[in-house]
Amino acid sequence: IGCEDGSVKIFQVVPGGIQFERNLDRRKGRVLCLSWHPSDTHIAAGSIDFFRVIDVASGQTVQRVMVNHHVEKTKRECVVWAIALLSRGTVVSADSFGRVQFWDWQQGTLAESHTVSTSAALSLAVSEKEDSIIVGTSTGATYQLQLLPVKLGGLEKRWVRTKPFQFHSHDVRAVAHSPTALISGGLDAQLVIRPLMEKMQKKSYDAALRKFTFPHRRLVSCARKARLLLFQFSQYLELWRLGSTEETGKDGEVLPLCRMPEHLVQLKSKGPEHIYCSCVSPCGTWVGYATASRFHLYRVRCDGDGVSLRKVPKVPKLVPPAYQLQFSADSDSLFVASARGSVHVFQLLEPGGCKHLHTLRPPSGCSEAVYLLAPSADGHWLAAVSGDWAIHIYNLKCFKHHCVVPTYKCAVSALAIHPITNNLVIAYSDQQLFEFSIPEKQYTSWSRAVQSRGLHRAWLERDSPITHIAFNPKNPSHILLHDTYLLCVLDKSLPLPDDSALLMNQSTLKQLPETARKRQLHAFKICKKFQPLLFMDLLDKNCLVVVERPIMDFKTQLPLPVQQKKFGT
Amino acid sequence: ISDQKPLGCWSVKHGQILTCPVVCNFDTHEYIAVHDDKVLRIWKDEDINLDKAFKATLSADVYRIHSLPLGGPVVLFRGGGVRTLDALLEAPQQEIENVISAEVIRWSGAFMEGEQPVLIFTTAKDGDFFVYVQKPKLSSLHKYKLEQQESAKPLCFTAHITNQTVILLCLYSNHSVYQVLIPLQQDTEEEEGEEAEILSKSLLLKLSVSGAVLKGTSLVVLDKDHVAVLGSLAAPGKERRECLTIWNTKFQTLQTSKELPLGTSGQLWCYEEKFFLIHGKLLTVIMYKCETSSLAAAVGKLKDRQTPDVSSFVNWNTLEDEELVVSFQSQEPVALKAESRINLRSRRSTVAGEQPETLSVGQLLINLKDAPTYVLETELRKLMAKAPTPDLQATIGCVVTALTDRCKKNPKYYPQNFLQEIVETRDLSYSLCPDLMALALEKKDMHLLQICLERFPDIPEEITYACLKAFLSMSEDHLKSVDVNLDSAICYVDVEFNNTEVKTEILENGFSAEMDQDMCGTKAPRASRSIDESCPVGLQKAALLNAVLHSAYTETFLLPHLKNLPARQAILFLRYLYYLYVKCSEKVNTTLPGIRSPTINQIMDWMCLLLDAQFTVMVMLPEAKELLSNLHKFVRAQVRFYSELNKIEGSLRELQRLNLLRESQTYSIEVLEII
Repeated sequence: IGCEDGSVKIFQVVPGGIQFERNLDRRKGRVLCLSWHPSDTHIAAGSIDFFRVIDVASGQTVQRVMVNHHVEKTKRECVVWAIALLSRGTVVSADSFGRVQFWDWQQGTLAESHTVSTSAALSLAVSEKEDSIIVGTSTGATYQLQLLPVKLGGLEKRWVRTKPFQFHSHDVRAVAHSPTALISGGLDAQLVIRPLMEKMQKKSYDAALRKFTFPHRRLVSCARKARLLLFQFSQYLELWRLGSTEETGKDGEVLPLCRMPEHLVQLKSKGPEHIYCSCVSPCGTWVGYATASRFHLYRVRCDGDGVSLRKVPKVPKLVPPAYQLQFSADSDSLFVASARGSVHVFQLLEPGGCKHLHTLRPPSGCSEAVYLLAPSADGHWLAAVSGDWAIHIYNLKCFKHHCVVPTYKCAVSALAIHPITNNLVIAYSDQQLFEFSIPEKQYTSWSRAVQSRGLHRAWLERDSPITHIAFNPKNPSHILLHDTYLLCVLDKSLPLPDDSALLMNQSTLKQLPETARKRQLHAFKICKKFQPLLFMDLLDKNCLVVVERPIMDFKTQLPLPVQQKKFGT
Repeated sequence: ISDQKPLGCWSVKHGQILTCPVVCNFDTHEYIAVHDDKVLRIWKDEDINLDKAFKATLSADVYRIHSLPLGGPVVLFRGGGVRTLDALLEAPQQEIENVISAEVIRWSGAFMEGEQPVLIFTTAKDGDFFVYVQKPKLSSLHKYKLEQQESAKPLCFTAHITNQTVILLCLYSNHSVYQVLIPLQQDTEEEEGEEAEILSKSLLLKLSVSGAVLKGTSLVVLDKDHVAVLGSLAAPGKERRECLTIWNTKFQTLQTSKELPLGTSGQLWCYEEKFFLIHGKLLTVIMYKCETSSLAAAVGKLKDRQTPDVSSFVNWNTLEDEELVVSFQSQEPVALKAESRINLRSRRSTVAGEQPETLSVGQLLINLKDAPTYVLETELRKLMAKAPTPDLQATIGCVVTALTDRCKKNPKYYPQNFLQEIVETRDLSYSLCPDLMALALEKKDMHLLQICLERFPDIPEEITYACLKAFLSMSEDHLKSVDVNLDSAICYVDVEFNNTEVKTEILENGFSAEMDQDMCGTKAPRASRSIDESCPVGLQKAALLNAVLHSAYTETFLLPHLKNLPARQAILFLRYLYYLYVKCSEKVNTTLPGIRSPTINQIMDWMCLLLDAQFTVMVMLPEAKELLSNLHKFVRAQVRFYSELNKIEGSLRELQRLNLLRESQTYSIEVLEII
């Protein structure tokens, strides 16, 4: 860790935390960036107007190189925003003058200098082979530099700026270089994965440019019975009561409201920590949230117009933080996903108490934390997914481990247990869907049919993973799924579409007379009306709640981007 | 160099003098210096004190040390003797012969000729100049005398080796560069002491440009057509300016020059496409790049040409290269595949010709030639079930060819289902199995033709036309019994029940028959309208025609064939196209529902093409008259409708904006129907 006072501290990562080891040589000037040598022998530290290289074993500064040479006219200071130490003794620095410079640190000489931008170069990342570098700048542009032979087949190589990309509107604060793609994250709240086309063998799903705006996790939770929504922000929670109508109408109509939605309460988190996860109970009377270090539980009471919020005292202390919170369907217990594959079960007591009941752990042990939970509606089962992508199913009646779902090669993005059949529906990040019968401990025949048949290509090539799964109590064959761009009613009773059929066929179906529809129907009923979709859940048999988060809403709150003159004046 | 910084500094003791340039042995990364003519010092980067470095005292005075990559350093003594450093270090005090008597060495250079180091040096004595070529490892020595030049002396030499010939360039005081060719003789038996051979020289370059002459001091060869000269340019009536120049020897032109106003030491070095020179008090490094010499470049007309070197910086072609490698590895079958992918029609015949050669598959097919049909089919199925290999595509082409060949021989044999299965499951193209569609046409296999039309990207226009004609000539009754894929037509063709309710319901864009008539101002007879409104062809025929509409074609090639379409069929086809056009125009988005249904552009293109091809027939035929007139009216009404729409575009936009405003409500309850 490089500090403001110019010191560099080494910490050891130990199970359950980090531990201070020692201080390296302290010099004047705040340390803004650090880079380890691949062999861990040296550390390069970037400061203002200079960078230095520290020998790790002795802790001494072995080289100090000024980077502000030949910019005498502007007396501004030159901030080294990012630094990389390559294995063959080259230091790459990115500075506030928009330069990427290559230094021989042993000699302290400048080998190459590339001015990539008129504004600051903020971040850089080097490929594992050290033949390619990606640089992020404050204008939102990223550039690739490649080490290429000066002559085809020649031995002498030079760094050449090859590809510019402009995917961000604001500062590119972080970049990463995977073997086949450039990844950049910006102040404009976007994560962009740009595949390197020369590394792609063929046009495929991996060769597409990808942009992510929202985290792939649940930020809204819904109290179905009480018709409340809990919104999780970084520093506070908001609880809303949904409005209602008494009218009905045709497709596409907007109905008049007889009761407006109501902002019940805003709950601010204390301290600087961000809220990591939150949940409201189905009955709407409990709200829980967790930060990196603490877990809080509140009792909400609505009497008439007044809303009262009371903190539940003596909440059992959790040593590791909670990664996910989930109330049981009857709101009698709370499940807390925790580190090392464990799930704590708390019993909720009237009028406002909480007691630790049990801790569920996978029998074989697990080093990763649980990040997704799904209780069954009858309170019998609980499915928990840990970071190693294993799905453990526990019997809540006797607090015993029931079984493990066969592991799949991808991360689980959402899962839910069907209220009637107790089938566990699992959505993976590669867009595959599985249905696992908990009582029978095996995949259902429908799931096997889906696997042998294969899902529609358009479905598999979607960008964003399924983040929530719900069920229609009225029709057990319906599974409701959603990602950022669509909501889908998956009807298991209908045939699966093949690749030649249109996947998004709702608008075509609506044009057809009833008689002609039958031939065109297939299992995936997709609606793309609401985008970007943050949350979707079924309130009751014919009422769906959908939360959109328009990108413009937060784009307008961003600071102004670096001004760029488009035309010479 | 923007950042000059000494990386190391070593000095000899007071009183000692370094007597020749220090060189670096690149093989061992050692530095070699000579001080006081005879004392050799060898040290490395980490040695700080030169005094403590390795020391060897030699028996003769050293003129220069040349460091050769892979050849080790070579030492040239004042007396003309040459030793490799290794040989010298074995016995530092060894006797060094004196090759030159009273001559003085002016210049020396060293090269590698194969594995052999070659050392060349020039000497001067009383206005005569001599050239010596020595190979220290073979202890061979040749002496030459340079041809005399009146009133001019050589100032500077440089040399390089090409094709076993030393090319010595001499800069003379008469502002000219001369070239001397010295063959590197292999025989060492030539007797010494013989009178030196006289070398003739040829004028390579005159260092003058538009009246100004360049007084050169140093000369460097850059490539076979370029030399660099450092000197001072003296134009009459102007001040002398020192400058670095690059000359093109092929076209005798000055390529470029750079002024050096602070003055130089007159020396110029060049390593790895960089010039090193002392300019004022600074060491200046100048990078250069010599483009391939061309007349255009020589006269400065070459502006934006990308040099091939520059384009090789970025390897955009990686993908193609890798594909190439793959295709080289698996040779012919993949070449076939590549062809099928590119769909070069002209290659069709060659593909067909090459097929029997494909490896064991061809052999297998030959073996199966006379096998019973069921054996053939099971064998072929086995063949196709194999794991996908790069040549799978070609294999399947061969399988289909084998099947069609069999069908041709045996008119009773026609494996309809098998062929359909192959075409449906594999990405075939017309060029892979050129006989298949002809066979299907012969057998009137409508379904297979439909699948082929939908899937093959490269059907010749002739075959497309043949399909169209076959489809149009089929009787509706016969077609009813044929199994074809109706997906493309079923959603809009309402043949069984003339359900007008459905239609009025989907009149979305405000266009109606009444409006059409009002605009035309003429009353069309009601009866004809009802004919137009129902589909002129049956569902099956519509689906087949849609397959034709979907296939790719080139107008020029299709037009001559379309001219041959019988009049009745042409009118039927036009009537169907008209029907489709009306159907399309009913919707705001002008698209027909269903899978693979024709698009409005396809309909319009075919309509125009058909009218072009059958123009005279259409004009002459009485039954076409009404159709054409209706078509004309409809198109005119459409044009008017769109021009009216254009007029109210502003208002529509405003409506849209209002709609958007309403939509941006933060909370709403909407009705959503999911079918």
